Amino acid sequence: MVRVTQVFEARVLSEADWIAASEICQLCRLDLDAVLELAALGVMSSRERAPGEWQVPATALPRLRVVGRLMRDLGINVSGAALAVELLEAQRELEVRLRHLERLVADH
Amino acid sequence: MEFRDYYKILGVERSASADQIKIAYRRLARKYHPDVSKEPDAEARFKEMQEAYEVLRDPEKRAAYDQLGSEWKSGQSFHPPPDWGSGFEFSGRPAGGRAGRRQAGATAGAGTHPEEDFSDFFSSLFGGGSPFAGATGRGGGRDHHARIDITLEEAYRGTSRTLELRRPEVKPDGSVELRSHTVRVTVPAGVTEGQLIRLAGQGESATGGGSAGDLYLEVHIHPHRSFTLENRDVTLTFPVAPWEAALGASVTVPTLGGPVEMRIPAGAQSGQKLRLRGRGLPGQAPGDQYVQLKVVLPPADSPEAKGIYEQMRAKLNFDPRASEAR
Repeated sequence: MVRVTQVFEARVLSEADWIAASEICQLCRLDLDAVLELAALGVMSSRERAPGEWQVPATALPRLRVVGRLMRDLGINVSGAALAVELLEAQRELEVRLRHLERLVADH
Repeated sequence: MEFRDYYKILGVERSASADQIKIAYRRLARKYHPDVSKEPDAEARFKEMQEAYEVLRDPEKRAAYDQLGSEWKSGQSFHPPPDWGSGFEFSGRPAGGRAGRRQAGATAGAGTHPEEDFSDFFSSLFGGGSPFAGATGRGGGRDHHARIDITLEEAYRGTSRTLELRRPEVKPDGSVELRSHTVRVTVPAGVTEGQLIRLAGQGESATGGGSAGDLYLEVHIHPHRSFTLENRDVTLTFPVAPWEAALGASVTVPTLGGPVEMRIPAGAQSGQKLRLRGRGLPGQAPGDQYVQLKVVLPPADSPEAKGIYEQMRAKLNFDPRASEAR
């Protein structure tokens, strides 16, 4: 195997970065209708830069990847996956708070 | 190579109907899906289940698998029989490993995800698993996605990681060679949990003159032993003596950027939060550090200490449960 060492510039994506919906479709393995429906459901925002050229914020990518996996693996529809991902995020947030409180209680 | 009993993995009889297999898979998938499950071996179990379902949901693959006979047990040493596959027409492993199992809206897509790495057993029977599988044919290379794990201190200071990426590349003579690229990625200070880093052109190589895909790295920050992270804010539980809380005190508090002096106001209570503005993760709008006070009582383990507590009992008109009694 050939080994090549290169150094690349990386860029952190922020709220200000937008990704083409077509690229999101490929990364998250969702079709365009599903991406647009997810935006309509409020899972993430979207904008139409030119007629038919939809974009979504880059920061929504991790969330949309989970949506794609849940839809494929569990056989749930778009609105079900949207609800599931929001509940999973709420659950994780509560778990973080619970761990913090448990630590406080244990220290007392 | 070890034999895999796909029926056992899905917990169904060999005579199970397609519907029974689908229901068994869905039931197990709900339990072991890595995005949902808390089971420690969820990811490995889920991969096994996906592989088993990939075979048993497909009549051709299932019939071929059944031809191996029912005498095999999981874990037994296995080699495909010499006439393996004759009479069957496999479409090979689908790009993405999941074709035909799609929910409306979800597509099979690219096989670039670690969860799709089926076993050698599967590959020996049904092919696939090739790093060259799943070419798009549209010229441009696909984007890839990976996870990068860092500590909270690294998120604060910034860090660098060396990643080894392997990808097939077409040589001028048309042959394909697997090349290993070592990529050093600089993670800037102030990245937060779940944030994405893009390395332009480091995804899949292009075919037919298109541009290479990008590599997206999703940042995961390990839980810290002292600090709790929420967005850019960090919280630290900080022990104080009763007299420090009651009378006020200047104390040295650890922060991600190093120790700082902080004033505890007189009359502070256990659980009270004090804010150190801008001492959380850096960024355009830097996060804050919250210092949550925890009053620690000195032990009454000497006559002198006991005497002080007795004096407090006698001289202080204090009932910690007074508000509860109302």
